[in-house]
Amino acid sequence: MLELKDLYGGYGKMTILNGVSFKIDKATITTVIGPNGAGKSTVFKAIFGLLNIHSGQILLDGKDVTRQTPAQMISHGVTYVPQGRNIVPQLSVFHNLELGGITARDQGMVRRRMEMVMDQFPILREKRNQQAIALSGGQQKQLEIARALLLDPKLILIDEPSIGLSPNLVQEVFQTLIRLRDNGVTVLMVEQNAKSALAMSDYGIVLELGQTRMHDRADKLLADPRVGQLFLGGSTQKSVA
Amino acid sequence: MTEFLQVVLSGLATGSIYALAAIGFTLLWQASQTINFAQGEFVMLPAFFVLIGMHVLGMPLIAAMIFALILSLILLGVIFKKFVIEPMLPHGTLPIVMATIALGILMKETVKEFYSAEAQPYPSLVADRTLDFFGAAVSTQDILNLVVSMLVVVALQFFLSGTRTGRSMQATAQNPQVAEILGVNIKRMVLYTFLINAALAAVASFLISPIYLAKFSNGEPIGLVAFIAAIVGGFNQIRGALVGGLLIGVVDNLAAIYVSAQYRAAVPLILLIVIILVRPQGLLGKAEGRAV
Repeated sequence: MLELKDLYGGYGKMTILNGVSFKIDKATITTVIGPNGAGKSTVFKAIFGLLNIHSGQILLDGKDVTRQTPAQMISHGVTYVPQGRNIVPQLSVFHNLELGGITARDQGMVRRRMEMVMDQFPILREKRNQQAIALSGGQQKQLEIARALLLDPKLILIDEPSIGLSPNLVQEVFQTLIRLRDNGVTVLMVEQNAKSALAMSDYGIVLELGQTRMHDRADKLLADPRVGQLFLGGSTQKSVA
Repeated sequence: MTEFLQVVLSGLATGSIYALAAIGFTLLWQASQTINFAQGEFVMLPAFFVLIGMHVLGMPLIAAMIFALILSLILLGVIFKKFVIEPMLPHGTLPIVMATIALGILMKETVKEFYSAEAQPYPSLVADRTLDFFGAAVSTQDILNLVVSMLVVVALQFFLSGTRTGRSMQATAQNPQVAEILGVNIKRMVLYTFLINAALAAVASFLISPIYLAKFSNGEPIGLVAFIAAIVGGFNQIRGALVGGLLIGVVDNLAAIYVSAQYRAAVPLILLIVIILVRPQGLLGKAEGRAV
């Protein structure tokens, strides 16, 4: 449903993506792994229209969506949860959630969806009138995911959801993503915590130096010794020692 | 006691006008990291637009005020953003500070050159009468100033918190990266902020000019006080700017009566120094964290 064709891009004149290509299927979870600086987060920014794309193509359900704005990507059913804290600190939890539907024309629909999403994340209903900054790290992440689900997306890009969360909460977030996949949503995730992320994913992509090195089923990647080496900080290519 | 009440009330009336300028100042900072050192001149200028409307174009007062408001929105809002701030923004805060200082001088000198260096009589919306308020004598102009400023602040607060556009503006100010990924039209939100600042300056100008007359140099004290009010209240807080403005108005008036009129101009500065030493984030401000 999403296809990247030989994507080159970066910030200003600096090139970070050096020909990324991959294709992911509908209703799957794919985890992008790779060493620091491999361009994992940058790929997400490229897809979501936040990056200067030099060449290449991004196709969504066969349609060219290269160089679209975030608002346009949202209208195509794509949402993005960047890493770190992505809340508006002084707005209430409720109004933070509402911002997830700011681009929608039908605000009645947004209200109904907000109720549904708060059913899925009861803590948000409980704290709806509090300032978002008063939420714990895990609750803020839940708020961000809930907000990303507000417009019923078909593809969700989620960057490092486990950062700052306790192992229990990480499992909870993963369970949420699995539930989404079972409901037909496609999930593309970047995760430091590569082993546990691959363990719950359908597919894995290894990025290195802004290029796709490997793309396979997650269980195969987990079993691949080269991937193991990567986790230890090495390279997938044989060193010239 | 009546004298005290009288001094406080007229201080609140002047302070509420300072607050309008300070709130605009704060909003610009929040939305676009613009420190507008021409803010005082932004308050000085619209009064002259009214005078031009009345004396050159022959408009009645209300029509001239609308004319001045529209002109302010265009010149102090759109043009200011497009031709001063946008070209300077990529170079950082300091060039913006210098550019706005230069703009302030340009505005001041232009008014002096092309209108007059003399203080111009400026019409009030209300007949100048003195009312009795629990024994204190309060002028109708002071009451008008206080009421109109507070209505403007309440309306602004309602807009920012009570409407989706206002909340999108808050999101843009508090976390622009998030606003962007949620599809908020950031450029438009920033433009709205500049328009609101221009409108606040125009209203402040209409209210303060009947008292101080319209004069090219009026911007200096107003700009300074607005800047101090914004800092005293907490640079990142609208409520802070409101409190800061009112506080300076009152303290300034009290000092003029009970300490010495000669030192009144020093009082806001002393207040500023004390606040910076004791509470650098301002009275209501929150310390601004820098994300890594």
